[in-house]
Amino acid sequence: MNDDPIFRELRFRNLTVKNRIFRSNVSGRFDNEDGSLTQTRINWECKFANGGVGAIISSYVPVLMEGRIIAGYATVHRDDFIPLWEKLGKAVHSFDAKFIMQLSHSGRQMDLPGVHNEHRPTLSSTSNKEPLHGFLCQAMSKAEIARTVAAFARGAWRAREAGLDGVELHAANGYLFTQFLSSGINDRTDEYGGSLANRARFLLDVIAAIRDKVGPKFHLQVKLSAVERNNVIPWEGKGNTLADTLQVAKWCENAGVDALHVSTGSLFPHPLNPPGDLPIDVLAVTYDGLISSGVYGFRNFLLFRYPFLRPIFRWIWFRMKKGRPVEAISIDEARAIKAAVKIPVINTGGYQTASVIRDGINSGAFDAVAIARSLIANPDLVKQWASGRDKPAIPCTYCNKCLVNAPENPMGCYELARFPSRDAMIEQLMTIYRARPELRSPSAAEV
Amino acid sequence: MTDEPVTAVEGYRHEHRWRLNIALIVLALLIIIALLVVVVLGIVLWRVTNNSTPTYASAEEHFKYGSIGSEPASGVPYWIWKTLPSLYPDEFQRRQDYSAFGFLYETDARGRQRDLPIGISRRKVQGVDVVWVNCATCHTGTWRERPDGPVRIVAAMPSNNLDFHRFVRMILRAAADERLAPDTLFPAMRRAGARLDIIDRVIWRTVVLPRFREGLVRTRGRLQPLLDIQPPWGLGRVDTFNPYKLIQFGVRAEDLPAAERVGAADLPAVFNQRPRAGMNLHWDGNNASLQERNLSAAIGAGVTPKTVDHAAIKRIADWLMDLKAPPTPHRPDRAAVTRGQAVYRDACASCHGWQGENEYVFVGERLGQVEPITNVGTDRSRLDSYTEGFRQRQLAELFAGTPYHFRHFKKTNGYANMPLDGLWLRGPYLHNGSVPTLADLLKRPEERPKAFLRGIDIVDPVNGGFQSPPCTPGTRLPRGECFDTTVPGNASGGHVYGADLAAGDKADLLAYLLTF
Repeated sequence: MNDDPIFRELRFRNLTVKNRIFRSNVSGRFDNEDGSLTQTRINWECKFANGGVGAIISSYVPVLMEGRIIAGYATVHRDDFIPLWEKLGKAVHSFDAKFIMQLSHSGRQMDLPGVHNEHRPTLSSTSNKEPLHGFLCQAMSKAEIARTVAAFARGAWRAREAGLDGVELHAANGYLFTQFLSSGINDRTDEYGGSLANRARFLLDVIAAIRDKVGPKFHLQVKLSAVERNNVIPWEGKGNTLADTLQVAKWCENAGVDALHVSTGSLFPHPLNPPGDLPIDVLAVTYDGLISSGVYGFRNFLLFRYPFLRPIFRWIWFRMKKGRPVEAISIDEARAIKAAVKIPVINTGGYQTASVIRDGINSGAFDAVAIARSLIANPDLVKQWASGRDKPAIPCTYCNKCLVNAPENPMGCYELARFPSRDAMIEQLMTIYRARPELRSPSAAEV
Repeated sequence: MTDEPVTAVEGYRHEHRWRLNIALIVLALLIIIALLVVVVLGIVLWRVTNNSTPTYASAEEHFKYGSIGSEPASGVPYWIWKTLPSLYPDEFQRRQDYSAFGFLYETDARGRQRDLPIGISRRKVQGVDVVWVNCATCHTGTWRERPDGPVRIVAAMPSNNLDFHRFVRMILRAAADERLAPDTLFPAMRRAGARLDIIDRVIWRTVVLPRFREGLVRTRGRLQPLLDIQPPWGLGRVDTFNPYKLIQFGVRAEDLPAAERVGAADLPAVFNQRPRAGMNLHWDGNNASLQERNLSAAIGAGVTPKTVDHAAIKRIADWLMDLKAPPTPHRPDRAAVTRGQAVYRDACASCHGWQGENEYVFVGERLGQVEPITNVGTDRSRLDSYTEGFRQRQLAELFAGTPYHFRHFKKTNGYANMPLDGLWLRGPYLHNGSVPTLADLLKRPEERPKAFLRGIDIVDPVNGGFQSPPCTPGTRLPRGECFDTTVPGNASGGHVYGADLAAGDKADLLAYLLTF
């Protein structure tokens, strides 16, 4: 077993993980509207910990309520949430897995603003609307930047206080950090816009603030989009290149980051992330929740709902995918970044085959992989590999139905073909509700 | 209650509702414009696919005014046709019609002159009215008994008034004339009654006029050098085959050998075609097929293998099969006629058939046969203008691969012996119209008039044919033109049959010929 690089432990500067498989950041709307996490989230995370992954990277955890991506996800914006996260950490640890909290801020990429945010434009690097859904935004003032930097630092501090194993800054996939980093999005004229160094200033400020707050001993990793390909909407700028990201990666390493997590794309979802299909027929019934989120919501809904309009969106979405594999879609970029830095590199992008991961580790493309959808399909994927399988018995089809169900339905696998019946599929979706919270009568002050 | 929008997105939408409204207005305008474009394109398409031509109830009307398919390749747009008289007043002798060129106008039921003359047909070519000639142009003429008598129009007789040569030269001259440029032409067209809508104006400016002038320039480039070296064809005459060589086959005028350059001959009568079947047709007898002769004549009128209207040509050909010439108005002495018939039987009937009591008898040993030029001795220019090389191109290239493929053309060595039905309407005589009257034809060549007036349609009850007083070549005449037999192609020699008869016999023979 120890000969298999997948099961070789991975030593970061401040953290050791038992194997090379990370559950990538993914979740559902399990939590409370106030940002407090629930038993369901604990169940969700433990499901993968039980399946044998070395570490769980939480779903994005907003450091401020104004940075929520989807309402109903747990946040880390309040000190009184620390005990909740502590419970979650302990639960994951009980399954012999590490837990890394992904600190996040949506910026303008806010899918479901919820009651806290629906009345105001979101803060971003720019005041230009998000191009796909038309989410409104407002360029942050320097004071707002400073406040947000501090919020990240406090979020990291809360994670450490909760006994979690580290934090990851979600500086990929179009969220606030990308909105600063990207040459295709950031149109600022102050010291946070213009040159790459200026555009990276916000991320580096946050890293510095976190290190100030939690010291050098707490694991801190950064998730970067190696190539942005920001022109999904064809008239948008292409955004950062691999060369830009190599430079940012080096600056992160120098700033005291312990590891890099390599993804791709400046939107989420993006045609290349998560790779695979996009079930427009499912979007036609789940996108309605986003219609009111952005000024282009209704337009998109029409494109999804009416089959004769679907080719328009299909062209927009699928033109970038041509000739690209689904599994290991960004392995070359990961390899380039790993060559440029000395800290470990985690890669994400459709991994499901043990031999592909082994080759990636052995050839120096990455040190570990982060997986979401293939683990949702097979939470015991790591165990299946351990038993000698190269691929799971019933593999993930990359249909992305899990992704497009997220705004309205519980997170889980929606690929009916993978189940003996619809009932079996529903049962799989309901497993996260099995371990129930202990309910009690609230005090007078609590109601 | 508060006026605050429910969400920021709703607030944005409220603030930007004007954009949506403008977008909707723009969209509505675009839809209206698109609909207008579709409607306009539909109208344009409907117009430009219209290639109709009138079909006349009576075959004679169709002969005079119906299309045989000459308009698409050779025609003149109707409104240019209507405008040319005002653009070239001198050419048209300051008339607002084409009578200056000998075109004949009938009157309609209300007594007004018809819009188009006999021999000019009208057809929509891609939606534009175009006119050009048909069979009747060259085969309809007039006669009068007295100068003050009514003018009678006879379909199928030779066109004794037509100056086709001058007409063609006028049209070709217009090709490169600035008066046919849009800025001059369009106002003149308006004055002539044209009411062009905007679509018409665009089509005229971009397609009709450029295409018409291009076609004219091309035809002019090919034909003008020949016209410049030929003597004018003269009234009632046309050079059938030389323009055909230049226009259809692209032969250059300067490459034509001198011997074949002059081919003008009289326009023939086309009565009674059925009895002529199997005879050698054309003056030189170069084709014994009525159908091929008809089609070849149509090409001479400007149809092409692509534009030919076979159905119309067949209708006219069928009608001409049994069309009789009108009876002679002459009333010669009956006894002289009887005597003259006997003379004719001996001297003429074997070659020409004979006139019976009520109808012409198309019987004769050598009727329809080619008489070698060495025997007949008439002017050989017309014979020489049809060559073996030209014949081969006719057979190889025209209507090749279709049922209309030419097969029967042949090169002959003389002129065919023609039936003489309707002889009273066919003067002047011989193939080149070089002998004014029947009486002159019965004279020895040296006694025949050297120059005479052509183009008078008053019949000559004494000498036969039309009145043809002597004239001096080169003098301007109020009517008709002076035919000069010394011009190449106009020689009046040959056909001396009957010239040596005794004076009494000759007078009797003439009396009999006046009954034809």
